[in-house]
Amino acid sequence: MSSVILRNVNKSYGNLPIVKNLNLEVKDGEFVVLVGPSGCGKSTTLRMVAGLEDITQGDIQIGDRAINDLPPHKRNIAMVFQNYALYPHMSVRENIVFGLKKSGADAETIKTKLADVSEMLKLDEYLDRKPADLSGGQRQRVAMGRALARDADVYLFDEPLSNLDAKLRHHMRTEIARIQHQYNMTAIYVTHDQIEAMTLGDRVVVMRDGIVEQVGSPMEIYLQPANTFVATFIGSPAMNLFEAKVDGEELVFDKYRIPATSIANVDLNVLASHDTVLVGIRPDFFEDSALSLQRSPSDNLFAFDDIQVDLVENLGFDKEIMFTLGGENAKARLDLRSHVQRQETISLSVDLNRVLLFDTSTQGMLINAGEV
Amino acid sequence: MASSILIKNEARLGLKLVAPAIGIIGLLVIYPIFFNVYLSFFDVQLNGSKTFIGLDNYSDLLANPRYYHSIGVSIIYLLGTVIGTTVLGLAAAVLMNQEFHFRNIARGLILLPYFAPVISVVFGWQFIFDPVNGIYNHVVVDVLHLTDTRENLIGNPDSALFVVILFDIWKHFPIAYLLLLAKLQSVPKDLYEAAAIDGQNAWGRFWHVTLPELKFVIATVVLLRIIWNLNRFEDVYLLAPNVETLPIFTYYQAFAGIVDQGGAAAISVIQLLVLVGLIWLYVRKVLKW
Repeated sequence: MSSVILRNVNKSYGNLPIVKNLNLEVKDGEFVVLVGPSGCGKSTTLRMVAGLEDITQGDIQIGDRAINDLPPHKRNIAMVFQNYALYPHMSVRENIVFGLKKSGADAETIKTKLADVSEMLKLDEYLDRKPADLSGGQRQRVAMGRALARDADVYLFDEPLSNLDAKLRHHMRTEIARIQHQYNMTAIYVTHDQIEAMTLGDRVVVMRDGIVEQVGSPMEIYLQPANTFVATFIGSPAMNLFEAKVDGEELVFDKYRIPATSIANVDLNVLASHDTVLVGIRPDFFEDSALSLQRSPSDNLFAFDDIQVDLVENLGFDKEIMFTLGGENAKARLDLRSHVQRQETISLSVDLNRVLLFDTSTQGMLINAGEV
Repeated sequence: MASSILIKNEARLGLKLVAPAIGIIGLLVIYPIFFNVYLSFFDVQLNGSKTFIGLDNYSDLLANPRYYHSIGVSIIYLLGTVIGTTVLGLAAAVLMNQEFHFRNIARGLILLPYFAPVISVVFGWQFIFDPVNGIYNHVVVDVLHLTDTRENLIGNPDSALFVVILFDIWKHFPIAYLLLLAKLQSVPKDLYEAAAIDGQNAWGRFWHVTLPELKFVIATVVLLRIIWNLNRFEDVYLLAPNVETLPIFTYYQAFAGIVDQGGAAAISVIQLLVLVGLIWLYVRKVLKW
């Protein structure tokens, strides 16, 4: 195992920049997830680490080796591809040990590794089959097995679960998390799925247009997003943003006046220099005021009264309700204890400790980072 | 019940649809084959009169040393041309699958020998190897001074065989190239990437990804080349009529000197049987259809 260091890494195709000045250190044994929308440069970054794309500018280091000019076969990495890329003419067994053999492992090691991997991924009964005779989920496991059998310095995952159906994806996600804890491998994992990012990553790197928007633990990213992009990209449904006027120590939008002093970690001096701010409230943090829920003394509730419910989507335990607030379409996620109906007028409460403020023009967060 | 009626109707329609093709093949292929087998048991005169002579044509043939010589020549010709075109075609396909400037033009130019008319390129080749004015002798003797004597490579049947093999490789490798390139383009890129990640250098990737992916096309190319070249006549005859491969020998038997169509028919029958046997084995064991 090794650390991976990317220093001022740039990638462009002709004049088109794909990755801009990326700096990242993946520590030994750390599982880092790169997440972002399509075209944000996350896969390109991964492929530069793998050596499948050359680096336009900057340095990449694995352990203490500079690898910029090393071809992929000399980098000692393992990778799981989005489309699995299994060798079609080889059996599952041959696929799994192919890289291991090439690395010069002796017969005994190959045997134990194969047994380990095939037991862990439950591939025992498929070892003699060809990839064409396997289902998508099984192929995915073989691809994982091929990577895990290797004794690589770093393991790379390029959207490995995106071709699976929802149930299998969930299952494999848990498997990967389990394997990661067992092997404690250095891994870089690329996904556009924020749930994978949140559940798998020791740290999450959120990217957009070739730029790293934020690096942090999953909970930091969720609770203290660096800007509105991260705030709305991570979390589902997306965070609600309302533009509010700053009126002294109050934030005004629609007919509501929120006492800014009650919002956690707000610097009133900073606030005073803004005419307007964006108020960010995650749908998860709304509560139905009609329920008498257990409160803790630190709770700092603010009630949005007279909310007209436009639509209710029942999802079983959860329900998502859609309404209009301050001229914006907004969403709240309530649970089954709430009996809100469509067209009803209700009151929604929110804990102001959970409310975030962003700069209207720079979209940056205006709240000092606190404890997560 | 209903489904069996549907299947029957379907089968009947199928028969109707293939009937014209079967008719044409029967007329143009099956009939001549049977007529050929029939002829091989007769002594055929030029005026068309036939005398039944049983297996005499076959026993004469099997006692003819020229027949065995032509089998030997054919085997060398087949080995040389099949291996040559396949290897050269594969090399060209791999090369033309790389990205470089003017690739599309190069891809097209490679096909030139294949669609150039035989008769015109044959004259070109004869001119190259001409003992007096040919560029080959000029380069070997006058420029490189490798030897003092000017050789008539095409005039001598032994060396002419190799000129004929070279000519066939040059003329027909584009078809191997074309088939292989088409398959090569459909090999998923990520297989190469996976192999690189698994520690394989360029040669290892060729060996472990390209070759297995091309296996069936290569086998098909070899099969087609064997079939075509076992029957190849015009290229050999036009360039060097002194190279007696089986088809040339058959032609001399049937139409030149002592005209012996019955004997020629006997050669074809044996050749057909051998070819069918070979292809059956090949399809079963190599292609595994």
